[in-house]
Parts: sequence; structure tokens; C-alpha cells
Amino acid sequence: MGLAGAEIRRAKLRFGLLTGAVSLLIFLVLLLSTLSSALVGALVGALEGLNADGIVYADFARDNIAASRMDPSVVTSIASVDGVVAASAVATFTTAANLTGAQADVQVFGFSPNAPGAPQGLSDGRLPTTAGEIAIDGGGATIGDVITLDPAGTSLTVVGLLRGAQFNALPTMYTTLDTYAEAFALTNPGLPFVPINAVAFDVADGADASAVAQRISSEIPDVTGYALDEAVALIPGIESISQSFGILVGLTFVIGIVVIGFFFLILTVQKLRPFTLLRAIGTSTPRLAATVASQIVLVVLIASLIAVGLTLAAVQGLNTGLPVTVQPSLILGVVVSVLIFSLLAGALSIRRIARIDPASAVGAR
Amino acid sequence: MNDSGSLLQVNDVSKVYGTGHTAVTALDQATMSVDQGEFVALLGPSGSGKTTLISIVGGLLAATSGTVTLGDIEVTALSRKDLTRFRAERVGFVFQSANLVPFLTARENLLYVATLVKTPKKAAQQRADQLLEELGLADRAKNLPEQLSGGERQRVAIGRALMNDPDLVLVDEPTASLDTALGRQVVQLLRREIKDRGKTGIMVTHDLRMVEYTDRVFEILDGHLTHVESPSTLGH
Ligand SMILES: Nc1ncnc2c1ncn2[C@@H]1O[C@H](COP(=O)(O)OP(=O)(O)OP(=O)(O)O)[C@@H](O)[C@H]1O
Ligand SMILES: [Mg+2]
Repeated sequence: MGLAGAEIRRAKLRFGLLTGAVSLLIFLVLLLSTLSSALVGALVGALEGLNADGIVYADFARDNIAASRMDPSVVTSIASVDGVVAASAVATFTTAANLTGAQADVQVFGFSPNAPGAPQGLSDGRLPTTAGEIAIDGGGATIGDVITLDPAGTSLTVVGLLRGAQFNALPTMYTTLDTYAEAFALTNPGLPFVPINAVAFDVADGADASAVAQRISSEIPDVTGYALDEAVALIPGIESISQSFGILVGLTFVIGIVVIGFFFLILTVQKLRPFTLLRAIGTSTPRLAATVASQIVLVVLIASLIAVGLTLAAVQGLNTGLPVTVQPSLILGVVVSVLIFSLLAGALSIRRIARIDPASAVGAR
Repeated sequence: MNDSGSLLQVNDVSKVYGTGHTAVTALDQATMSVDQGEFVALLGPSGSGKTTLISIVGGLLAATSGTVTLGDIEVTALSRKDLTRFRAERVGFVFQSANLVPFLTARENLLYVATLVKTPKKAAQQRADQLLEELGLADRAKNLPEQLSGGERQRVAIGRALMNDPDLVLVDEPTASLDTALGRQVVQLLRREIKDRGKTGIMVTHDLRMVEYTDRVFEILDGHLTHVESPSTLGH
């Protein structure tokens, strides 16, 4: 007959409330980090997920791909810089589109298949290879849908679905540069040529993309090159956004852990009298410790199950317009750290248990 | 067995609480021996050292000096870990109060101590049910301590103390929270269980009326232990 189980059975309300409180705290942490990574992902996913080692902007763009304009001829100059193994144009603009029956803003990217600058994160279908095809992230589109750009009037067929490839938190579609140029020209009539925004490049395996990017910056006039992760970090505002979210999630996590830890400490301290009696009648300290630890593990595991259920339900139910996915690795990480910290708090209370003087049971009034 | 042939031998046991100015000598060279099957009383005013003495005898408290032997075990030489086992296997305690695990039923309180010495489940259940029956608690077996009266609780504690078939039963003021009639009933029961099972018992009390149920009386005053020949010579 387990002491731990017997106590839980006799104090269902107390353990129920405890489990509920712990599950709400875990839920809060899970939801906050899921939503914030979804938001950050939607803002910069397109750049983060770019299949390239580095990217080059026009100097005047001040590290903002949307503000950058380049002459397509720059691609060949960049490709010839020492250390660059491939380079290709990346172009993007914002326009309107008829998405699943409603007019909405979309971000359009143009890229060359099988060259640096293609998107990653295909969840279904394939990447576009010929004119008139797109892969899309968001907007509720499914494979086979036909989306019409407005005002260009270009009709595009969805051949692939992407995840984590949005830009500016808009539904984001990727098409070949030809199709892109056609749509762009129809949207902006009278331009002498279709500008590109950036050039994506690859370096040789193991080479330092950052060093190559610096070489590009110094050898080619009016452009600035970055390794891809540098470029992502430099997206205007993104650093402060992700830092703010990091603080928010981190603080919630720390507070949650501390509160949960206190719960378990209180749970033990409340039981010092029965524990003293148990020691007096011959229960070993390790056995009491095992009782405490097994209750903590049970409460945290049940609370985690509830929290994961709540998070999945919330992600389904809350319509944030963001492509939100709950990462199994996030769940695992949060649950494991809550468990570890709870057991640490448990260890504190076990230290208290170890200090119990069984003799004090005799005089207990 | 030790030299004297008694089951329990207490030799020159002293206990000093604290150090320096605040040192309190709770027990001053106490010596006593109790035979197998005897049920003795330990009498004395408040603060005289009764609880201190049985705590040392039962392996709950370390003596400052002196030795305690129970059968062939030198209790005062055991490590902390061995003392825990000693208490589980050899000693049955009935404390004055806070005697039962509050979240275990009467029957579970008995069964729990059986798990400490790894008694097979079947045997433990039989023994617990038999003890509860003898103690008149058969119909209270499934009640939690908070649902029991003070007398019932003390009887459960007696059952718990006897559960592991200990050599020694130590009882600290079992009647303190009970009225006289109930107190007598509990002590009578205690005597019967100890005698029927051939156990050795020490009962701390400051109630002279309970002494008639015991075989011999020790008196303790300011930490000095004396043996009173028979209860009837007590001149209080
Ligand atoms: N942990 C302790 N620290 C310091 N002094 C103590 C401690 N425990 C007991 N004492 C002192 O030792 C003396 C004997 O205490 P003990 O509890 O053995 O008395 P007692 O005879 O059981 O009294 P009572 O009938 O009131 O229970 C008392 O003076 C008490 O104040
Ligand atoms: Mg006492």
C-alpha cells in the first residue's frame, strides 16, 4: 500500500487543485512560447527559411529586403566573387489576391528553382518549377486552388504548401522569377525593367558565409552582403520583438517554475507532523523521499497532459491569423524542465525531511 | 541475553540537553532492568525525564552516556540507519498524541507498519484484522483517524504498536487525553494484549490509578530513577 497514493485518494480536492494550478502554469508557458514563436516566424520566416548561405541587399535599403532594389545584372557580379559558388535573384512585393473567396494582402516572392533563394518548409506538395505555379504559406489555401492576383489578374495554381515561410505575418506565396516578373510588371505598369530586391548566394561547404559576404560588400559597389543568420537578426525591429518575447516567455517560465516549486515545498512542510511520526515508527528517510518524489512526478505528468490538451485546444480555437503549430520539442522541453525543477523543490523538502528528529514525535502535543 | 538475564537493561544512562549555561540534565545515571513479559509503569511529575528515558530505550533519542541493551542488541551503539530498522522491527510505540497517520484508515495504519518489515500481504491483513477485532475496532477499520474518538484512536495506536510483533512496547501517557473510565479501559486492553502475547511493556503515566494494572513501578524525580517495590507502597 503506497503512502503517496493513499494520501492523494484522501485529499482529492487538494491534489486536484494543485494539479489544476500546475497545469494552468504549464499551459501559460506553452501557449505564450507557441504564439510568440509563431509571430516571430510569421514576420521573418521567409528570410529565416531561405535556402541560401547569405543574402545581399542594396546599401540604401538599410538591411530591409522590402526596401532594397537592385539591377538584375548584379547577380553575375556577385556570382563571380571569390568564395561564392552560386548566386540567384530574390524578388518580393506585396499585392492583393483573391484568397479562398476573399480579397487579402499577400506577399509574393520570386526565386529560381534549384538555385539559392528557394523557400524551405514544404509540408505538402512540391515547389513550383514552371510558370503559373506557386507554393504558399497561410491564407487557408489547399493544393489545386487557383489564386488570382489583383490588380495584375495573374492566375496561379497552388502546387505546394509551406510552413514557417511567411513574411510580415502575411500569407506568402513563392513563384518562379518569370511569373513574378510578369505579375510585378502588370501591377506596376511603365517600369523599364523589373527590379530584384536581393541576391541569395551559397558558399562552398564549410566556408565562412560571413567572410564571403564581407568580400561581396567590399568588392561590389553599393551593396551589402550578410550571412543569412546575420540578415535575419538585422531585420528592422525583429531583435527587439524577439527579445521582448524572450523576456515574456522566460519570465513566465521562471515564475511558473518557482510557484510550482513552492507548491511542492508547502505540500511537504504541511506534512511534517505525520512524517515525524512515520520516522519515529521506523520509516526510513529514503522511503519518505520516494513518497514525496512520486507525488511530484504524478502531479506534474497529469498537469502536463492537461496543459498540452489546453494548448492544442487553444491553438485550434484562437483565431490569430497566424500559422501556429505546437512544437513537440517545446512541449517536451517545458514538461521536462518543470519536472526537473519540481523535483529540485522536492529535494529541498526532502532535505527538510532528512532533518526530522524522530524523537520529536514523542513529545508532540 | 545480557548478563542480568533481563530482556531490557538500562545502565547508567544520562541525558543532557543543550550545552553550557542552557544545559539541562534530563536523566541522571538511570539504571533499570525489565524482564521478558513484564509490564512496568514509569511514574513521575511533569518534566522529570519520563519521555526522555523511553525515547532513549526505544532508539528515538541518543543518550549522552550509558548503555541500553534489548536482548542481544546494544541499542545505544546502533547507527542512525540501524536505529530506524530497530524501531520498525523491535519496538512498538504508543505516543501521547498525534499517534496515527492522518491520511490512512485505522486498518491501513496497522498495515503500513507491516510493510516496513516486509510482512507478506496476506499475513499482515490477517494480523491487522485480528488485532482490530481484539481491540473492539472491527467496525471502525475503514475510518480515518479524524473520524475516530480519542479512545478509539489510542486503541488503534496500540494495535499499530503490536502489529510487527515487537519485543518491547513503549507507551507514553496513553490516557492523558482520555477521561478516567476510558483511560482504564485502554490501559486494561493494553495490559491484556501485552500479557497475552508475552511482550515486555513500559508505560509512562502520572496517573497513580493506572499503576494497578502493571507489575512493577519505577519512579523518576528530576532525572533520578528509583525502583518502587510495589505500587501499594506509593505514598502520594
Ligand atoms: N529537546 C529538548 N531540549 C531541551 N530540553 C529538553 C528537551 N526535551 C526535554 N527537555 C527537558 O528535559 C526535561 C525532561 O523532559 P521530559 O520530556 O523527559 O519530561 P517528562 O517527564 O516526559 O514530562 P511530561 O510529564 O511533562 O511529559 C525537562 O526539563 C524538559 O524541559
Ligand atoms: Mg513526557
